[in-house]
Amino acid sequence: MLEGLNKISDIEWEVRKGYVDDMAVPGRIFLSEGLGENLEEGAVKQLANVATLPGIVKYSLGMPDIHWGYGFPIGGVGAFDVEDGIISPGGVGFDINCGVRLISTPLKKDEFSGIKRLINTLFSTVPTGVGNVAPKKFSDSELEDIMREGASWAVKEGYGMPDDVKSCEENGMMKEASTEHVSTKARQRGRPQCGTLGSGNHFLEVQYAAEIMDDEAARAFGIEKDQICFMIHCGSRGLGHQVCTDHLGTIENATKKYGIKIPDRQLACAPVKSPEGEAYFGAMAAAANYAWANRQMITHMVREVIEGDFGVDYNEMKLVYDVTHNVAKIETHVVDGKKMELCVHRKGATRAFGPGSPEIPKDLSAIGQPVIIPGSMGTSSYLLKGTQTAMEKTFGSTCHGAGRLASRSSAKKSHSGADIRQDLLDRGIFVRATSNKVIAEEAPEVYKPSSEVVDIVHRAGLSMKVARLEPIGVIKG
Amino acid sequence: MPFQELNHTADYLYRCSGGTIEELFTSAAMAMFSLMFDEREEDAVKIGIKLEAGDFETLLYDLLSELLFLSEVERVVFSGIDITIHDHSLEAVASGEKFDMERHRGGTEIKGVSRYGTEIRQEDGKFLVDIIFDV
Repeated sequence: MLEGLNKISDIEWEVRKGYVDDMAVPGRIFLSEGLGENLEEGAVKQLANVATLPGIVKYSLGMPDIHWGYGFPIGGVGAFDVEDGIISPGGVGFDINCGVRLISTPLKKDEFSGIKRLINTLFSTVPTGVGNVAPKKFSDSELEDIMREGASWAVKEGYGMPDDVKSCEENGMMKEASTEHVSTKARQRGRPQCGTLGSGNHFLEVQYAAEIMDDEAARAFGIEKDQICFMIHCGSRGLGHQVCTDHLGTIENATKKYGIKIPDRQLACAPVKSPEGEAYFGAMAAAANYAWANRQMITHMVREVIEGDFGVDYNEMKLVYDVTHNVAKIETHVVDGKKMELCVHRKGATRAFGPGSPEIPKDLSAIGQPVIIPGSMGTSSYLLKGTQTAMEKTFGSTCHGAGRLASRSSAKKSHSGADIRQDLLDRGIFVRATSNKVIAEEAPEVYKPSSEVVDIVHRAGLSMKVARLEPIGVIKG
Repeated sequence: MPFQELNHTADYLYRCSGGTIEELFTSAAMAMFSLMFDEREEDAVKIGIKLEAGDFETLLYDLLSELLFLSEVERVVFSGIDITIHDHSLEAVASGEKFDMERHRGGTEIKGVSRYGTEIRQEDGKFLVDIIFDV
C-alpha cells in the first residue's frame, strides 16, 4: 500500500488531511491489501484534491475500483453542501449517466441454445461502434422531449413497458433537466444517436445467473438460478460528451469569478447555487435523461429480437433495475445525526441506497436498492443490494465495476484480439465486436478481477451480493 | 516524431511537439486523427475552422474539441490539417474522407479532450504539450 495512507481496517484506508495542502476533510478508500498493490499515486492525489473543494462533507471517498481519472478519480464519491458547496463537471466526467441495466427473461440456461445466432442478430440490430447511427433520426422537438422525460419518453412512444420506468434509478428522469443549457452542437450530436451502444467499454451482454447468494433478495428482484438475462452498459453518447465539453469552459470562468482555489484545473467548479452551477446541473440532468432513453431504446430492440427468435413474450422480459455511474445529484443524507441537502458526485461509482429509502421501488423497500456491477467481457457480473451501512459511510454509494489495470495500448501489444475471442469462445462466451482491436483493448486481463472488487464492497457492507452472473455472449462497439 | 504515445491506464496520453505553435497544433490534431481511425486514405473533403481564445492552451483545446464535433456530425474521417495562427486567433482547413461504415466502424471513440496537464512549454527550441484523450 502507498505511503501516507493510514489503515483503518483490513478494507478501509484513510488519506490523512495534509496529504495535499488545504484538505478540508480526510479521504477514505475501501480497498484490500491485494488490490492496493495496484493503487496509483495519481488516483490518491486526485482523491485528496477533491477534499480541498468548498463545502465537502465528511470524506472524499474512493471505491475499490478507484483509478486515475479526469479531475475526480474514477471510483470517486464527493458530497458537497448545497448551501456553500460546489458542483464540478470533473466529478461527473464526459460520459454523463453512463450506466448499466439488467433485464431478466423466462429462458433458462439448460433450455437455451443458439447464442451465436442471437448475438449475430443483436449485433446487426443494435447500432454499435463508432459512426453507427440509430434507425430513426429524431426531430428537434423529439430530442427536446427525450432530454426532459428520459426513459418515460421512450416508454410513452412504445419502446418499453410502464414498469420499466419504476425500475430505473430516479425513475429514469431527472426532473431538474433544463434543456436551454444544452447547446446546438450537443443537440446535433444527439439527434442521430438515441438508441446506439457506442464503443470502448460499452457492451451488451447475454448472461445467466450462475449463483444465487441471497434467496430473499433474488426473489424480490425477480432473478432465479440459471435464468438468462441481458445487461446493457452505455451512456449519453455524443450529446453528453458535448454537454461536458461546453460547460467546462463556463465553469472554468466561474471558478475564477467566485474566487474558488483549486489544486488542479480539471477540478474547475462553481457554487451549486450559482447561475453557472445551475446551468451545468440542468444540462447534465438533460444528458442523463437522454442516456436513460438511450438504454430504453436498446432494451426495446433486444426484447424484440428475443421475442422474434425465441418466442418469448415481450412483457415477460422485466427490467430488474437501471443504475447510473457518472452523475451529480441533489440528495438528502443524514450527516452526524442531521439531515443535509447535498450535491453528491458519483464518478464511476454506483448509488446503493439501503432499505427504507423513499427513492427505491416500494416493493423493494424492505430489501434495498438493486445494484448492478458489470464484469469485463469474460468475467462475472454481480447483482447486489444497497445497505444502511452505505447510507452511513458512503452517501449510499458503492463501486461501479472492475476498473482498469493496464493501458489500452499495452493491452493491444500483449493481447491479440483474435486469440482473446477464441479463448473466450473456448470458455463458452461468443463475442462479436466491430474490430479485433476493441477486443484486445477490453481483454478481461486488463481489468481488476470483478469478484475481488465486489468482495470488498460486500465485506465493507456497502452493498451485499445477491447473484453472480456469467457471460455467454457479448457485443462490443 | 511530432507525437508519441505515453502510458496511461484508462485513456490515451500523447506528447506532441513542434518547432512553431502551428506545428505543435498540427501534431496534436494528427495525434488525435491517428487515434480515432486506422484507415485514412483520402483528403477530398475539406472543412474550414475559425477560432479565437484567451490563450494557446484554450485555443488548442477548442480546436481539438471542434474537430471531434465536426468528425461526428459531418461524418468525416480526418487525416490532415493546415493551420495558421495570429495572436490567439486560428484559421484551419481540415481534410479527410467521408465516413465509411465498412472501413471505419472499428475506430476509437474519443469522448472528450482533457485539459489536465495541457500546459504548452518550450524545451530545446521546441514547443511541447501533453494531451489526454478521454476514450
